[in-house]
Amino acid sequence: MEVSDSILEHLRQVTLLPDLSGTRYEIESEIGRGGMGVVYAARDRDLDRRVALKILEFPIAGEAQLIGRLEHPGIVPVFETGTLPDGRCFYAMKLVSGARLDRYAAEDHTLTERLRVIRRIAEAVFFAHSRGVIHRDLKPQNVMVGAFGEVYVMDWGVEAVAGTAGYRAPEPALDPLSDIYSLGALLRFLLGTPAPPALRAVAEKAMSADPQLRYQSVSALLADIDRFEQGHAVEAWSEPAWHRIRRFTSRNAVLLWLLVAYTLVKFFFFFWKKF
Amino acid sequence: MDADTAIGGPSGQFPSTRVSLLEAAASGLSEAAMDQVIALYWKPVYRFLRVKFQKSNEDAKDLTQGFFASALQRDFFARFDPAKASFRTYLRMAAERYAANEYASENRQKRGGEVEFESVDEFEIAAESPENEFEREWRRQLFSLALADLRTHCAETGKQLQFRIFEDYDLADRDRVSYSDLAAKYVIPETTVTNYLAWVRRTLRAFITDRLRATTSGPKELHEEMRRLWK
Repeated sequence: MEVSDSILEHLRQVTLLPDLSGTRYEIESEIGRGGMGVVYAARDRDLDRRVALKILEFPIAGEAQLIGRLEHPGIVPVFETGTLPDGRCFYAMKLVSGARLDRYAAEDHTLTERLRVIRRIAEAVFFAHSRGVIHRDLKPQNVMVGAFGEVYVMDWGVEAVAGTAGYRAPEPALDPLSDIYSLGALLRFLLGTPAPPALRAVAEKAMSADPQLRYQSVSALLADIDRFEQGHAVEAWSEPAWHRIRRFTSRNAVLLWLLVAYTLVKFFFFFWKKF
Repeated sequence: MDADTAIGGPSGQFPSTRVSLLEAAASGLSEAAMDQVIALYWKPVYRFLRVKFQKSNEDAKDLTQGFFASALQRDFFARFDPAKASFRTYLRMAAERYAANEYASENRQKRGGEVEFESVDEFEIAAESPENEFEREWRRQLFSLALADLRTHCAETGKQLQFRIFEDYDLADRDRVSYSDLAAKYVIPETTVTNYLAWVRRTLRAFITDRLRATTSGPKELHEEMRRLWK
C-alpha cells in the first residue's frame, strides 16, 4: 500500500498521539517533546483538574514508583503512572505554570534571588538522594520557576536517560555525585558572567572531572553556598589576602564604622582638652 | 506482560511474530531476517542509489538487487556492530560502498574508460539529499508495510468495518470527512467511530513497532528508531 507524503505525515501524527481510551485523561495541547517522549497538557475528567501528561516510548523502570512517592515542595508531584492501551507508559503530574530555568536566567534577577533558586533545586536533589533517588538529567529545561518564586525540579531518574551535554558528569555510570556535577553546571549557568570568584570556585569544585574531588554530598555544596551568603570563606577557594580583608570589612562594616567613629571622638576630645 | 516485547500492549490482542534482527541472525535465521530487511529497505536503498549515483531506473534496480544478493552471500549481519551505528545507517553505508565498488569495477572492465552515468531525465530529482531521501522512503515503506499488516489482521479478525472507517478518515488524501458523516454512513454512534479509529491507530502503531523490531538489534536501537520516527 503506497502512501503519499501528506497521508504519511497524518499517519505519523495520529500514531504519535497517545491512545487514552480507558484512562481518565483527555489531551488539551502539546507542551513539549524531548528524547524521552512528549508532554501534553491534559484534563483529568474525574477530578476536573488540568495535569501534565508525559508519554514515554519505553516502560517506566521500578525507580518511577520511588519517584511517585517523593513528596517535597521542590519536586513536581506525580499523581499517577501507568501503561496506555498502546503499550506506552505515562506519568500524570502537577501542571506547573511558570518559566523554565533557561528563560528565567535570561531575565533580570539579583544574585541573591539566583542563589535562592539554586538552593531550592539543591534542596530537592538532597531530599531525593536521601530517599535513594538520583535525578540523572539535571539541566535548565528540567527546572521550572513559578510566578510566586516556587521552584520545581522535574523529570526524575528515568534510567534510559543518558544526561545532557554540558550538564552530564563525564563518568559512564551515573550516581549521586553525578547529580552534584550537574548542580555545579546549573550554578554556573545561573550565575552567568561576571560572577563572584568564590561562587565560580564552588561551581568548579562541584564540576570536577574526578568525582572524588567534588563535594561529596549536596549538603556540603549547600553549606559552601551558605558560607558565601554569610560572608565567610568558601571551602572551594583559597582566597588571596586582599580578598580576605575586603570580605572581612564588608562583613563587619558596622563594627568598623563604630570603631572609626569612636576613634574620631576620642581624638577630638584629646585635642579639645589639650587646647 | 512486558509491553516492550509484546505487540498490542497490555491487553495483548495478538502476539508478536517477530524477533530482533540479531536474535534472528544468531538463531541461524539469517535468510528470514534478510527477508524482513529486504521488505523494509529495498525501496529506500533503490531510491538512495538512484539519486546518489544518478542511475537509470533499471540500473538502480539491478544495483539494489545485486547489493541484497551480495549481502545474503556475505556475513552481513555478523559484521554489524550496534555499538557503532544503527542498522539503518550501517545498511545505507554498506549499499553506498557496494555501489562505489561496482562503479570502480565497471570502470576497470572498460580498461579505464570513463563510465558516464545515464541521465535521469524521467526521474524527478529530489530536492533533498540522497540520505534524506533514504530516510523518507524508509518511513514511507515502514508505514506501507504496517498498513498491509493491519489490513490483513482486520480481515482475519472480522474488523473490516474498523478498517473501512480508518480508510475513509485517516487514509483520505484530502477533504477528510467528519466523525458524524462516518457515523451516518455506517449507521453507528459517533463514539463508536472514534473508538474504532483509536483501536485501528493503536494497532497500526503496534505493527509499526513490530516491523521495526525485526530490523533493529534490540530494545535500545528499537527505542531510538521509534524516537526518530515520531520526532
